[in-house]
Amino acid sequence: MKTFNRLCAALWLACASWPASVHANETQTVEIRFTAEINGQPFACGRQYGPVGASASTILPTDYRMFVSEAQLIARDGRRVPIHLTEDKLFQFENIALLDFEDGSGPCRNGTPAVNTSIRGHVPKGDYLGLSFVIGVPFARNHGDPTLAPAPLSSTAMFWTWQGGYKFIRFDTGLAGSDAKPAAGHAPDAGHAATGFSIHLGSTRCASAARTQAPSACLDGNRMAIQFDQFDVARHQVVVDVGAVLAESDLTRNTPKTSPGCMSFPGDPECIPVMRRLGLAYDGAPPGEQRLITRR
Amino acid sequence: MPATHSTVAAARRRRANPAATVLACLLMLALGVLPVIARSSYDWGLPQGMPEPVVPPDNPMSDEKVQLGRHLFYDRRLSRDGSIACASCHQQERAFADPRRLPSGVDGQPGERNAMSLANVAYLPVLTWSNPMITSLEVQALIPLFGEHPVEMGMSGREQQLFEGLRTDPVYQRLFPLAFPEEARAGDARLYSLASLTRALASFQRSLISFDSPYDRYRYRGQSDAISVSARRGEALFFSERTECYHCHGGFNFTDNLVHRRQPLAETGFHNTGLYDLDARGTYPAGQTGLAAFTGARSDMGRFRTPSLRNVSVTAPYMHDGSIADLRAVIREHYAKAGRSANSAGRPSPLRSELMVGFELEAGELDDLIAFLSALTDERFLNDPRHADPWKKP
Repeated sequence: MKTFNRLCAALWLACASWPASVHANETQTVEIRFTAEINGQPFACGRQYGPVGASASTILPTDYRMFVSEAQLIARDGRRVPIHLTEDKLFQFENIALLDFEDGSGPCRNGTPAVNTSIRGHVPKGDYLGLSFVIGVPFARNHGDPTLAPAPLSSTAMFWTWQGGYKFIRFDTGLAGSDAKPAAGHAPDAGHAATGFSIHLGSTRCASAARTQAPSACLDGNRMAIQFDQFDVARHQVVVDVGAVLAESDLTRNTPKTSPGCMSFPGDPECIPVMRRLGLAYDGAPPGEQRLITRR
Repeated sequence: MPATHSTVAAARRRRANPAATVLACLLMLALGVLPVIARSSYDWGLPQGMPEPVVPPDNPMSDEKVQLGRHLFYDRRLSRDGSIACASCHQQERAFADPRRLPSGVDGQPGERNAMSLANVAYLPVLTWSNPMITSLEVQALIPLFGEHPVEMGMSGREQQLFEGLRTDPVYQRLFPLAFPEEARAGDARLYSLASLTRALASFQRSLISFDSPYDRYRYRGQSDAISVSARRGEALFFSERTECYHCHGGFNFTDNLVHRRQPLAETGFHNTGLYDLDARGTYPAGQTGLAAFTGARSDMGRFRTPSLRNVSVTAPYMHDGSIADLRAVIREHYAKAGRSANSAGRPSPLRSELMVGFELEAGELDDLIAFLSALTDERFLNDPRHADPWKKP
């Protein structure tokens, strides 16, 4: 399946760079490539990474997926031009794409064999300098009936049913072992020993005023807006590195009665450094600089 | 499974006999009005005068869907390791509630809420203890199936495995096309899908109608001796301004959460009964903040949806966290005291419902209240073979 995907991607690129194909109509194909890493190391299921986090833990990830939407190229004159995604009944629907970095092998057994590491579509022919996109599912699509939604919004692994909507980012990891002693001042049993750490980003506190209606807004949308003023589609790729988000986290402990790791719910101490490093305000704390996404 | 066969066969006999009916059905199918027909042909088995529940327009009731949903409801293969079915936490002899304080998922991870009774769940406009956004059983089913905090049935990301298991089972090969003929014509991918799975489960749960308690016979069918003299005194107490029980536990379903065909505008009620108050500001324990977890409003702290009291004497333990073991303790140690935590922080919780007034019971009155509540138990419902495990060999 992976080979097949790479073949498809290669074919796509070949087409994309074939001038004749853009001649017929006034559009050009676009593929934005993404690569998933952990502290600079390419992500692969079954591979261990370390040291990660303030606890310098060795981790064995089990899932790594995220939704990207509203991708736009920024033209030389500053105009933002939406990338019209090619719907494929698998990873791309309307202006939403699921990036799926896991291949279902080894510890990623809750995953799917198919991977998806790019978003593909077209824009009007033009001179583009930059790129912007959102990590998340647009509100209008986030609160429909998930049992009827088309792929990729049908993936149960990305359901966020309890709060309504989808997980925008899903990263789960087990701990292969921690090389660090617990931080000074903490007895080993001060928190509950954790066996893993999750980052599940999604909208929270979405209840509507009329309680039996679909929410009209969420207090915490938790969508990440990303922009690169300089992004050469042919040369650059988007790097997703969750290691930088976890840098301040002690992966070996979890506050009792809270979600394992950070699942976006207010009142979870493990979320404070994670949400700050995702560039999101959280529970009264201001956002920091987002560290998840860089350009290479 | 003789029960299943006979029921399905009976349903088919009823419908498929005269050729004219078949022709009419085909015509209606062509006109796209089949859902309307299906809705009106389902027999809810309601007593005279009870309103029909409201069902989602895209999931009209049918006997075939109820049968399929019943098989799914009792099927442990709906969990990751084959250890848990819906029925594991919703047991018929408990009015589809759970005798354990809290359930535990496939990983052994403890759940966070006591599993609620499903009797007359079709009349509830909002499901679960505290989530105002879960308004249909179709969507609610996704929480136990795919939820990850806590993990219950643990099927997140495994839906394809699940559909494959259903598709290759001879029982489901028969039941799915009967329940979803249109989807069957569209192919296996449409037929064995989240949409059909959740719609069948919802249909079965909506069929769990309980209106045959002694109190129903006494109150709605004129059998004045159907409940004891003590239960009648308990009834008067329950509906009195002294105890204020009925303000929240009112109406034919004994809850202020109600929607039906004659009352299409849903009525909802979430209340803080003063079960907890950790800091004299009304704070509930972490993970148990109720409605506030969804609205973010401090004033919604500790507000949980009023449960129905039908069959309440068999649904112990009580409260959202199962923290009160029996009905006597619920009345004596919680409601009579205007909330268990009324004085735990020195003064009553500022967030406690104004209807929590506290009361003193005279000798025998507690027994009377218990007698009344016990008269809400529908023995026929608890033993109805139509709701029982269809996989069980006789």
